[in-house]
Amino acid sequence: MIMKKTIYYLLLAVLATSCIREDISGNSPEDNFEALWKIIDEQYCFLEYKSQEYGLDWDEVHARYAERITSSMGSEALFEVLSEMVNELRDGHVNLSSSLATSQYREWFDAYPRNFSDSIQSNYLKKDYVNSSGLTYQILDNNIAYIYCSSFSDGIGDGNLDQTLNKLAICDGLIIDVRNNGGGNLTTAQKLAARFTDKKVLVGYMCHKTGPGHNDFSTPEAVYIEPSSGIRWQKKAVVLTNRRSYSATNDFVNSMKQFDDVVIVGDKTGGGSGLPFSSEIPNGWSIRFSASPMFDPDMGQLEFGIDPDVKVDMTSEDMQQGKDTMIETACRILKN
Amino acid sequence: MKRTFALFILILSWCNVFSQEDSLRTTRYVMRSFLIGTGRANVLDTYLSPLEYKGPEVRVLFENMRMTRLMGGNVSAQHVFQADFSYTKNPAQTARMYTGMVSWTYALHYQFRLNERLKILAGPTLDLNGGCIYNNRNSNNPAQAKAYGSIGASGMVIYKMRIKDYPLTVRYQASLPLLGAMFSPEYGESYYEIFSLKHGGKHVSFTSLHNSPSLRQWLTLDFPIRQFNMRIGYVCDIQQAKVNNLKSHIYSHNFMIGFVRNFYILKGKNRISMPHNVTPY
Repeated sequence: MIMKKTIYYLLLAVLATSCIREDISGNSPEDNFEALWKIIDEQYCFLEYKSQEYGLDWDEVHARYAERITSSMGSEALFEVLSEMVNELRDGHVNLSSSLATSQYREWFDAYPRNFSDSIQSNYLKKDYVNSSGLTYQILDNNIAYIYCSSFSDGIGDGNLDQTLNKLAICDGLIIDVRNNGGGNLTTAQKLAARFTDKKVLVGYMCHKTGPGHNDFSTPEAVYIEPSSGIRWQKKAVVLTNRRSYSATNDFVNSMKQFDDVVIVGDKTGGGSGLPFSSEIPNGWSIRFSASPMFDPDMGQLEFGIDPDVKVDMTSEDMQQGKDTMIETACRILKN
Repeated sequence: MKRTFALFILILSWCNVFSQEDSLRTTRYVMRSFLIGTGRANVLDTYLSPLEYKGPEVRVLFENMRMTRLMGGNVSAQHVFQADFSYTKNPAQTARMYTGMVSWTYALHYQFRLNERLKILAGPTLDLNGGCIYNNRNSNNPAQAKAYGSIGASGMVIYKMRIKDYPLTVRYQASLPLLGAMFSPEYGESYYEIFSLKHGGKHVSFTSLHNSPSLRQWLTLDFPIRQFNMRIGYVCDIQQAKVNNLKSHIYSHNFMIGFVRNFYILKGKNRISMPHNVTPY
């Protein structure tokens, strides 16, 4: 009797077992279009914010682009239409990648002045600059230290930072130039920022999606920068920015902006405050998109960039003389 | 009457003593097997991709089974340790996923000995699993950690037969998790938030048949070749979950081969054959 009951309940339980699968089938242009639209619809984190900012309506985008999808269209045409569709998000973190190409929304920097010239920068770095763990530095003629950080993609060693800051300690002030730095690892950016504060500082908040709804977000949690246990910069510092200061660099600039002795000089940063995730559509193309938004300490959005404390553009007069207007401005701020 | 009653008590006492001795001795009989196999895996984890990845899998399985003293010596204990690794690709063959999992299952089965050939076993199980799925193409969501455990029900049928004096043992076992807990990041949460920023969240979820309908099945055949007891088998391992709005499954089908050792735990006597009424298997 016991045995019969056991078998009965076991079979009942087995019958209750059902498959857990994702509702994706087919590999036609329509299937790939629907899959891509759904990934953004359910996982992209700025749909509501961008609806408020510039009237993005993702359902309307579906209706508009569905008309351009036909079952007979080739891969190249499909890639073009899908790229245009995701560019509606106006997000440099959204990239559709295939063997044909990688789509990229470029308006966030193409529509603004470049504000950086490596040939003019070389006038300041001269020939005896030092490279250390991804940082390029020089002591300028006016005893101002200049560090150029081109990327946060590779780690910066603690020992290298100690050596660099120790060597520059004799200077009156420090310029950290993150122009054209497109980002990289958040942890690397925060490691560098931790050299510019002597106390734990609230630098912002971060949250993530908890479900497929446009407003399904976790409660934002505080993000702090704790002072590094290594050598820390104790004098005034200026961070130079332009529109190509993006992603993890945007986060670095936001952190530096919260510190007492740091001034942000240059152009508005490019933004990119959503931590990107990756997914893919049935034909194997991958899609990168913003998944977790980051905010400033007042819960303000950083997605479209951070305004500098001192707005400066490179002037053509200075450029003709081989001068970098931003570096010159930074030197004046640090000398005063 | 008194003599009859005294005789009855004597027989009962004798039986009791015998059964205790028998029970004590039966716990020393152990069946161990080691199997290695290969097959196919179908892996889905919507934290990494909405697509199902498919490819080859290798698996090892170690099993240990012996009788206990529970319920008059009718309960056997089974340990099963499994480790598997799969290398899978998306349907378009443009991305790869590497999955490594280990699992340990402990089951106590009450043995219903229907006749000399047929046994049916049923009882509770404890199942612990851990591993990782890595996608070679993703940015800030390149991997998913897997950690879950459950208690469940297990059933087994063992049938011993002979074909022209050649002994064969067939076993079918199914193990079904019923109540458990599972680690999972939240829907769009990165491991950067969990481990670098140490942000909280609902990272452990209760699981049952409604959100984690899983099933492990084994079908094995034992047969002797000279002094070895060989075992071939088929493992169907269905692991599924839907927690924190994330769907995942690992479907594995493996053909296994290995050997079985039946022995008595005393040193030097591990060739003792196991009588039908005491063997755990």
